[in-house]
Amino acid sequence: MMDAPQIVKTQPLLMARNVSKSFGNIAALQDVSATVYPGEVLGIVGESGSGKSTFLRCLNLEEHPDQGSYTLDLPNVQGNLFDLDRYARRMLCATRIGIVYQNPHLGLLMKHSSSGNVAERLLVAGERRFNVLREKARDALDASEFPLDRMDAPPIELSGGMQQRVQLAKAIALEPALLLLDEPTTGLDVSVQALVLDTLKKLQQERKITMVIVSHDLGVIRTLSDRVMVMRRGRVVEEGLADQVFQDPQHAYTQQLVHAKL
Amino acid sequence: MAYVATRGGERAIEQSQRLFKAEMGAITPERVAETRRAMPYLVDRVMGEASLYDEDLAALALAQTGGELYETILLLRSWRTTQPRLAVADPVTQEGLFTHRRISAAFKDIPGGQLLGPTLDYAHRILATEVLTGTPHVPTLVTPAPHPAPAQQPSVAAWQAENDLLNLPNPDTTAGNDIPDVTREPLLFPAKRAHTLQSLARAETGGVLALGYAAQRGYGQAHPTVNELRLAEAEINVTHPRGTKFSAGRVKISQAEVVSKKGSQLELGFAATMGWNEVKVIAAATLDLNSAGAPKGSATEEEFYLYHTEGVESSGFCIHFKLPHYVTFQSSLDAMRDAKAKQAEPAE
Amino acid sequence: MSLKSLTKAWEPMSYGFLDASAKREIRRKMLKAIAVPGCQIPYASREVPMARGWGTGGLQISCTLLNPKTTIKVIDQGADDSVNAASIRRFLAGVSGAPTTTDTLKADLIQSRHRIPEEILREDQVLVLQVPNPEPLRPVQPNMSIARQMHADADYGRMWLQLYEQIVRSGRVMQGASYPSLVNGRFVMTPSPIPRWDVPKMHMAKHLTILSAGREKRLHAVPPFTKVEPLVFDDVPYKVEDHGAHVCTRSGAKGYFMNEIPQDDGPSTFEVSDSELGVKSIHRADGEAVQIGETWYKNGEMTE
Repeated sequence: MMDAPQIVKTQPLLMARNVSKSFGNIAALQDVSATVYPGEVLGIVGESGSGKSTFLRCLNLEEHPDQGSYTLDLPNVQGNLFDLDRYARRMLCATRIGIVYQNPHLGLLMKHSSSGNVAERLLVAGERRFNVLREKARDALDASEFPLDRMDAPPIELSGGMQQRVQLAKAIALEPALLLLDEPTTGLDVSVQALVLDTLKKLQQERKITMVIVSHDLGVIRTLSDRVMVMRRGRVVEEGLADQVFQDPQHAYTQQLVHAKL
Repeated sequence: MAYVATRGGERAIEQSQRLFKAEMGAITPERVAETRRAMPYLVDRVMGEASLYDEDLAALALAQTGGELYETILLLRSWRTTQPRLAVADPVTQEGLFTHRRISAAFKDIPGGQLLGPTLDYAHRILATEVLTGTPHVPTLVTPAPHPAPAQQPSVAAWQAENDLLNLPNPDTTAGNDIPDVTREPLLFPAKRAHTLQSLARAETGGVLALGYAAQRGYGQAHPTVNELRLAEAEINVTHPRGTKFSAGRVKISQAEVVSKKGSQLELGFAATMGWNEVKVIAAATLDLNSAGAPKGSATEEEFYLYHTEGVESSGFCIHFKLPHYVTFQSSLDAMRDAKAKQAEPAE
Repeated sequence: MSLKSLTKAWEPMSYGFLDASAKREIRRKMLKAIAVPGCQIPYASREVPMARGWGTGGLQISCTLLNPKTTIKVIDQGADDSVNAASIRRFLAGVSGAPTTTDTLKADLIQSRHRIPEEILREDQVLVLQVPNPEPLRPVQPNMSIARQMHADADYGRMWLQLYEQIVRSGRVMQGASYPSLVNGRFVMTPSPIPRWDVPKMHMAKHLTILSAGREKRLHAVPPFTKVEPLVFDDVPYKVEDHGAHVCTRSGAKGYFMNEIPQDDGPSTFEVSDSELGVKSIHRADGEAVQIGETWYKNGEMTE
């Protein structure tokens, strides 16, 4: 008897089901579901207003949907995460989920040191040894290919690309189970963008971090993702393996996107 | 003996108080009566900020402090706080006020009519130096209007609500001793509506003006239109424990309604205080108008403006910096010197 | 027997200044504070005949705890003779008829601004500390509503980050006085602006400490035998002011917290900050019989 392929045996790490969210009369998300397996990268693509960033904020538990469920297959993490109270939500996000925002002001204390921004994560998790904080902050910054001679400079004095690396270091400092990336390279120079993408790819390969990345940029999604979800007006219009979706888009909207890119 | 100074502190403060009193001269009933008679608007402002309506005590406090306003308010507030709460008066309604002055910037004419009343608004502010050289200012007789204005009028906001321009908040039915009293319990946030209005009524005029002005100048989201400004007298009706209702007297009050357009409706800001103090109620109503949804830490956020317009707290804290801080300063110096020494050490 | 003989004559002021309802509220809030060590309890904080920021919080506690037999000591910056201490002592004695003292050992109730006496306090003594700002999170979160939520969540990451940043920038924790401390393993509190020298005195102390901020309308407590731990990293030890070796030029006392007195012709001399300890040391040097209690610090080192 033949073994089933490896992937079938594995439980999904992340399962979101029928997530809906309205802002006033505007339905930002309608019945959005997603499944992500351990070590996999899910790319979510769509234009602005498609609901992709709202969905990511729901996954980071900073937005509360009107409906839907969300589970993470992790030890000591049970039930629908949307039902967690404020305290449990904060602890889960601080220790198990990392996020990189497009706008570094959302993710960083701009006037604190870069190493301090990374250390804060470890402090929240209870680390009380100064030297260990230094060491781990240095390691995380190093893994994000941040120049270590600037590790105590505040983000406000750094370039956009460097700020994203500090965010990334902060996000991975605790070796999170899930890394969320919200347009992580948007707004950066093309050359800087490529370098940051390189780092992300390298990290993913070395550490097998499970990621969900949101971008309007097909190139970014294509570089990083194993699987792709295309969103439009709060709905998922197409999903599948990255190569498949990009080579042979089924939905008219996806075809339009892919062709526009070409 | 070295430490003979132990009692020196007490002697020093005794003498410094004598010096202050010597410069003030005698405080007599006549002086208090004259203060009350000569400065009704100052007395009003003081009664509002002290949240104690008693013209004689206000005038006494002014006389006793020589008009040092922060001291005046503190004197009255700390006297007030020791007084028992004997009864809670019936709510004062807008329609029940005896109106002396009522103006609206929103409409040329309003139901009930504009009532100019006593004001300096249109006076030319020319200093009457001739008074000093012996020509007193004697008031000229007021010619009464042909038809007396109705003494009691509805609010402009009530008319707007009837005409679907504005949603009036639901009337609060809390009564009597259940009405939260900010002088008997701490102010917490989000603040109870009663606490907000009470705090604004007690707030320091200058502080409310500064923050209200900041909002009016553009740091607030909403531009106020003075819907109605009213100076009036309110009857204070109290129920005797035996059940008879009686009037405990009349108090002067000021109130302002300001509105601003929000979507298809008008939004309302309101403030009232005891005594006649127009600047304060317009500024306070502007803050109230702007406070819904104001960003944390902005001047129009409730927590920000209520904390920072509390005159007794803010003035007290400000002057407390005169007190010795040897210990804290010494402690900081120690940390500074140590850090400096560390920086001078060669790096490891 | 007439009704008049049973009631007290009307007086313009209540005993201990505050009326009974104000005192009752404070008693209840103190009990709450003792039950939840280090947790800030909001209270009405009535106006008192002293300016806010001048000890009105401590004053309300003292007024509530006083009775005609309570022996009161009042200190400001360690000194009984400072003008503000004198003013508060005179007020407390005036509204209560209670005796006053400058001797730490004889006091039942000690109201203090910015110092804990050097002589060890006993179980039967209460220390009331005046607090300008009760919120240790203020430097990282000025908004009171958010700060309250952070305490509820024991969300002290920013607090620790502040210490991390200071060490990175200056090589040490730069907090001078008011060193943030964890009470009973749960709430971070400000010990009031006492020097770092005094914070260890609170840890597992025999006496009750009530800390009260009149202007900010909050009080908190450190009950007897309660853990008080300054926030420090495991590998960067807590450091009190480097005063252990200084000698008081007036009393000869050595190994206590000092006031620095700059000199015209050179650096500085020092005077012991606890003025009553200075007075006692002088008396002892003059050969007089004087009782100096056990002190928390011996030879400039904190005893266990």
